[in-house]
Amino acid sequence: MTERISKYQRFKMMNPIIQFFKFIYLSIKIMIVVAGGHGGTREVK
Amino acid sequence: MSKIVILGAGISGHVAASHLRRKLSKEHEVVVVSPNSNYQWIPSNIWVGIGRMKSKEILFPLAPLYRKKNIGFLQAKAISFHPEGDAVEAKPYVLSEYVIGEKKGVQEKVTYDYLINATGPKLNFEATDGLIPGSNKTYSVCTYGHADHAWHGLNGLIQEMKKGKKAKILIGTGHAKATCQGAAFEYILNVEQELRKHKVRDMAEITWISNEYQLGDFGMDGMLLSYNSMTMKSSEMVEMIFEDRDIKWILGAGVEKIEDGLAHYENLDGEHKTESYDFAMLIPAFSGHGFKAFDKGNQDITDKLFKGFMIVDADYTSKPYEEWSVQDWPETYQNPSYKNIFAPGIAFAPPHAISKPRKSKNGTDISPAPPRTGMPSGITAKLVADNIIDSIKKGKESLEHKGSMGNMGAACIASAGYGLTQGSGVSITTYPIVPDYHKYPKSQGRKLGKTFGEIGLAGHWLKLALHYAFIYKAKMKPFWWLIPE
Ligand SMILES: Cc1cc2nc3c(=O)[nH]c(=O)nc-3n(C[C@H](O)[C@H](O)[C@H](O)COP(=O)(O)OP(=O)(O)OC[C@H]3O[C@@H](n4cnc5c(N)ncnc54)[C@H](O)[C@@H]3O)c2cc1C
Repeated sequence: MTERISKYQRFKMMNPIIQFFKFIYLSIKIMIVVAGGHGGTREVK
Repeated sequence: MSKIVILGAGISGHVAASHLRRKLSKEHEVVVVSPNSNYQWIPSNIWVGIGRMKSKEILFPLAPLYRKKNIGFLQAKAISFHPEGDAVEAKPYVLSEYVIGEKKGVQEKVTYDYLINATGPKLNFEATDGLIPGSNKTYSVCTYGHADHAWHGLNGLIQEMKKGKKAKILIGTGHAKATCQGAAFEYILNVEQELRKHKVRDMAEITWISNEYQLGDFGMDGMLLSYNSMTMKSSEMVEMIFEDRDIKWILGAGVEKIEDGLAHYENLDGEHKTESYDFAMLIPAFSGHGFKAFDKGNQDITDKLFKGFMIVDADYTSKPYEEWSVQDWPETYQNPSYKNIFAPGIAFAPPHAISKPRKSKNGTDISPAPPRTGMPSGITAKLVADNIIDSIKKGKESLEHKGSMGNMGAACIASAGYGLTQGSGVSITTYPIVPDYHKYPKSQGRKLGKTFGEIGLAGHWLKLALHYAFIYKAKMKPFWWLIPE
């Protein structure tokens, strides 16, 4: 097993307080990407 | 008055039916034809497959909901398409066969003004010799029944490991052209975490087997993504996770045959190899359902409607990978020959793959087919419903709503372990889904910032929140339509 994720990184990934703010941040960011609209790609002839 | 028939009550069929019913007045008829009595939220099958959710938590019966919402429901399967009717039936229809109750086996001509084919994929286990869920120690998580079964198999193995058995676990794709690598990726990480929870992790060797050329390809040609303050390749991100979790990998593998505890595969070097296992979860090939179509004179016109999956407004001209473009991808999901037929979700025939096609030295195609995940399935279904609604209201064809996968974002919240405080998730968004190398030439066809990755507990909460939100939406509870697809 290779420890590719350091103890400090893992602490940040699993800390509920840090992750709570991350949850809010991710929810908004994902909403922007996904609900940010979609459309065609072809020129109107 | 118009009659809209929707084939399939999966993510896309159900989304289309709900929006049509909400926006069309009662004089118009909305009818769903689907063989399954339940709606299932497929993404949560992963948790059923590790025993953390019961299948009843991810499904609900469709008939009572449809009755309440005035949506017609036939528990039947479509058999053949007759877009011009026939000698006795003037209207276009789909020949359907009831699968349950007194009418079981009875065939009926279900006529329509508009038809939405949302039948998704056929889980083509037969394409791989011996790949049968529940036998040869192989399982699937593609349906809730399969996932229940997978947990039964995995739990049995965990109990044996507790008694000292060393075990090999193999998870990935079960065919050279399979797709849906994301689901297998989630499952392998969840299984790995469960083994740790059961304190048997050191008894197991876990291996990822996939038709991908590189880790993190996901059938989307991989991606360059923002991760923390860095720009990282998805292959590097998945490699980091697998190494950290001590998961081995076999890439470029086209699984061709399964025997009891043995997976035979060909790799890109043309070598034929065998991997042994005590438990395997392998995603089968996805194919069209093999529907036939006939014209008014009963002549076979299947090639006007189907190319495996249903033909829509894509550019199907065969061209090399270097010439593929986002413009090849459909925008309205309308069949070019019969303008009142649409196919959103997985039911439409893609113009080509997204990942670079590769062949083994023996000429076998070994590379992922293009995925169509839940989000694009929902979005394409809604836009098809909106175009039908506009056409009905305006009294003429209206195709204003467009949504190409080359101009649409998607989020993939991959569960990496279950648990409110111990869980984890890999959240990845991509924009666009199909890379646009002209627009974003320096970032592998995708917009950095909108294409990003995150790993951590928040990802698990997000996936759980989506589970509850989408089941709420599917049950059409108050203000369900405010939740985006
Ligand atoms: C294990 C797993 C996990 C996944 N996780 C995610 C995830 O986390 N996020 C994500 O975005 N996507 C995920 N996906 C992908 C997602 O589930 C699909 O993109 C989505 O279900 C496609 O929707 P669909 O409506 O096109 O097809 P389906 O959901 O497959 O629905 C097809 C419907 O057609 C019906 N049908 C079949 N044959 C007939 C017939 N002859 N006549 C009438 N009806 C018929 C079926 O009963 C079903 O109701 C996952 C997939 C799997 C297998």
